[in-house]
Amino acid sequence: MTRFAISAAYMAVLYAFIFLPVAVLVLFSFQDGRFPIPPFQGFTLKWHLEVLSDEELMVALRNSLLVAFGSSALALALGFLAARGLATSELPLARTIRAALTAPLSVSYLVIGLGLLASLNLAGVGLSLWTVAIGHVVINAPLCFAICTAAIGPAQQQAERAARDLGAGEWAVMRFVTAPMIMPALVAAFLLSVTFSWDEFIIAFLLSRFDVTLPVEIWSLLRSGLNPKTNAVGSLVFLISALAFLAFELSARRR
Amino acid sequence: MSLRIEDRERRRAWALLAPAVLWTAVFFLLPFAIMAAMSLWQKTDDGIERTWSLVNYMTLFGNPTYIEALFNSLEITLIVTLLSILLAYPLAWIIAEEVPERYRRLALVLAVVPFWTSYIVRSYAWSLVLAKQGVLNTALEGIGLPTLDISNSRAAIVLGFTHFFTMLLTLTIYASLTQLPPNLRRAAADLGAGPWATFRHVILPLTAPGIAVGAFLSFALCIGDYVTPQILGGGNDLALPQLIMLQLGRRADLPMVAALSIVLMAVVTLAYLVVARFMKVAR
Amino acid sequence: MKQTRYSITKGDLNLKNTTAALALLTGLSSQVQAQELNALVWCDHTDPALIEPFEEQFGVTVNLKEYEGTGAGLSIIEQSQPGDWDVLVIDGIDVPRAVEAGILAPLPKDQLPYDTLFPELVMADNHEIDGQVYAISEKFGYNTVSFNSDNVSAADMADMTRLWSGDFAGRLAVYDYYLPVMGMIAVGLGLKTADLKVEDLPAIEAALIALKDSAESVGDIVSSQTAIATGEVEILVGGGEFVTAGLTGEMPQLDWVIPDQGAVRWSQSIGVFADSKQPDLALEFVKYILSPEGQARLATSSCYWAMPANSAAGTVLTDEQMRALRWEDQAAYLARAQLYPAPDAELDAAMQDVWTRFLAH
Repeated sequence: MTRFAISAAYMAVLYAFIFLPVAVLVLFSFQDGRFPIPPFQGFTLKWHLEVLSDEELMVALRNSLLVAFGSSALALALGFLAARGLATSELPLARTIRAALTAPLSVSYLVIGLGLLASLNLAGVGLSLWTVAIGHVVINAPLCFAICTAAIGPAQQQAERAARDLGAGEWAVMRFVTAPMIMPALVAAFLLSVTFSWDEFIIAFLLSRFDVTLPVEIWSLLRSGLNPKTNAVGSLVFLISALAFLAFELSARRR
Repeated sequence: MSLRIEDRERRRAWALLAPAVLWTAVFFLLPFAIMAAMSLWQKTDDGIERTWSLVNYMTLFGNPTYIEALFNSLEITLIVTLLSILLAYPLAWIIAEEVPERYRRLALVLAVVPFWTSYIVRSYAWSLVLAKQGVLNTALEGIGLPTLDISNSRAAIVLGFTHFFTMLLTLTIYASLTQLPPNLRRAAADLGAGPWATFRHVILPLTAPGIAVGAFLSFALCIGDYVTPQILGGGNDLALPQLIMLQLGRRADLPMVAALSIVLMAVVTLAYLVVARFMKVAR
Repeated sequence: MKQTRYSITKGDLNLKNTTAALALLTGLSSQVQAQELNALVWCDHTDPALIEPFEEQFGVTVNLKEYEGTGAGLSIIEQSQPGDWDVLVIDGIDVPRAVEAGILAPLPKDQLPYDTLFPELVMADNHEIDGQVYAISEKFGYNTVSFNSDNVSAADMADMTRLWSGDFAGRLAVYDYYLPVMGMIAVGLGLKTADLKVEDLPAIEAALIALKDSAESVGDIVSSQTAIATGEVEILVGGGEFVTAGLTGEMPQLDWVIPDQGAVRWSQSIGVFADSKQPDLALEFVKYILSPEGQARLATSSCYWAMPANSAAGTVLTDEQMRALRWEDQAAYLARAQLYPAPDAELDAAMQDVWTRFLAH
């Protein structure tokens, strides 16, 4: 066997492995019957339509979008400002601050969620979408900070200095010099945050009460009765996210 | 004069840092401190009693079931991390080195598309694949092979995790492979190194930081995950996060939950210290 | 780390999305709602088919939070502010605990359908304290043995101890909730669930461990249902109509039986919070749930089916539904089932430890 054939075979096997669960999920979301196991009993769109008309799932979807975009916007703001703060001046505690700001990246979401839960309990703060969003900012701000820090280099600093010498105020420097220069990084950070928040389960599960996000709603769907809608909602979420991702990829390519 | 500019710059830098630092302090460091304190309190019938003692940790380390859960988690996580590296490295390599350049991005994107299914649904989908009369066994039977009985087992948990982390590690390893200087290999060859020697002595050490970062990320995410063992384990194996959620959901024993979380954190920190050695190579 | 993560989506895009996000964010604060009723419930109450008719009739929103196990429920209450909750659904045997903790308010007995309630479900010992009613049964069933009659027969299930004898190795699943399953095993061992003591636990644990050796999986309602419906297992220990009734339409071969030794009867009760800010609406909700229509919807709720406590539901349920619920056999079943164990804190902790070891085994 040639080297090329070996490589091609390896790729084929791994892609099959990677796509197997998704393919099964999508296939059985069209299963005409209640049991998502072979044999395939026929094609139906019934479950997809049921998902789309399921009010609780749709509310959860909206909640997920609110939390994902809202928390990501705040996470990006915090991360970007902090990255600039550390880049513009030599601070005495810079290393400690950097370490503290990125520390949440290496802590399990479960632990972050439990810590917040315990603290909110002690403080007597009720759980809501707001507390979920707080949790998501905690996990995503370090990510945005890291990405922005990596993107701010000597070129940005020189340009900023030049702008300042020309009399630009701090806000104007940030708005018209730094941000445009590292725009791809800002977009990447924002979209990654949205993705992570959108799919995050355990923090949302621990810190929500009546209003829940989509992963939490899917979890209770999974736990509350054998239901083919689980397959359908899974396929739909996959379709939406994968399309958004591919659109992003294509547009990034074309430019 | 110059000193005043520096002062002003510093003040400005602090102002920019303040929101993130405050946020981290209030919503990350403080909760962590509270949890550490709470792990030293006790749950009683009337709520949480704030007397300081190590009793939760003593219960925890004196209970074989808890220790077993810890070792289950460690074992699963280590196997998953290793297996994922072994699967992902060749794939990343093939994409970076052998796929023609114009298809490279597409190949990489395809390798991570299932990333965008809901995390919970992905685990659930594996349970459909692995079920005794599920897709995999039906297919195996169809081609005359013996069926696999791995649903509801540790093997199922490992497989579900490995699927996710193979995708993740393919990305991180690919990233470090593409950062290698292109003429490095030619230089090694000029010096008389064969392909294997080049890989062993040049490429592997240079990509080690990328592997280490990915491995640590996998380790930290895997050991703290509740969903995959809960869905795929079928109650036949108890992982540390499941134990934590049992304590929280059935017993509402927050102090014990806090103690278990601290132990989980300690394990992740240890793993970080081990891996940090490899990560430093690149700096 | 930052380098690799960044490269995942490195690309050149504009930031229109952010503005859209900010616009969405303002939506967070604009959720104005009508009068709300907050109910802490079991999963069967979250079925819109049950809740929506009430919401429409009274023009209110019912907020539902589901929980598992009385311990978790009580801790949710502990962590809430007074007045947060209006309606509580709780394990029938745990009502005294809730009353002692001052959580529940007395109910007006004359406004509740006591005359059509199954007599066994009145449970005055649990529900009435000092002549006051604090909660009323709404639904009940049995933790016993469900099985697939294609593979095993009811006669196979007659002797409960066979379940952990190894006869059915690899063919059974266990429902993951400690109280009913341990209570059931106690019944199988000839113990009385009402007199369960810490000293009885070693024998129960031994049976549990033997059971685990035969078990293919241990799971919640859904994974248990899936396991038995897909043929993964043939027997579900701890199951009953709450597992199979919803499926019998498509899988008539799913059946359940009470072994010779007996089984455990579970029941859930509903009451109004003592510090509810809208006790009248909360009482209306309780009355709705206990009404024939509410009872029929609750009995056939999507999470799990089970017998309604109010026999008047029989006027609303279809014949098919009543057959699936085994309406006609209830008198015989009720006679043979013992109540769920009601452990004190010490026994409860010990039982949970046994269960954790069972899960880890």
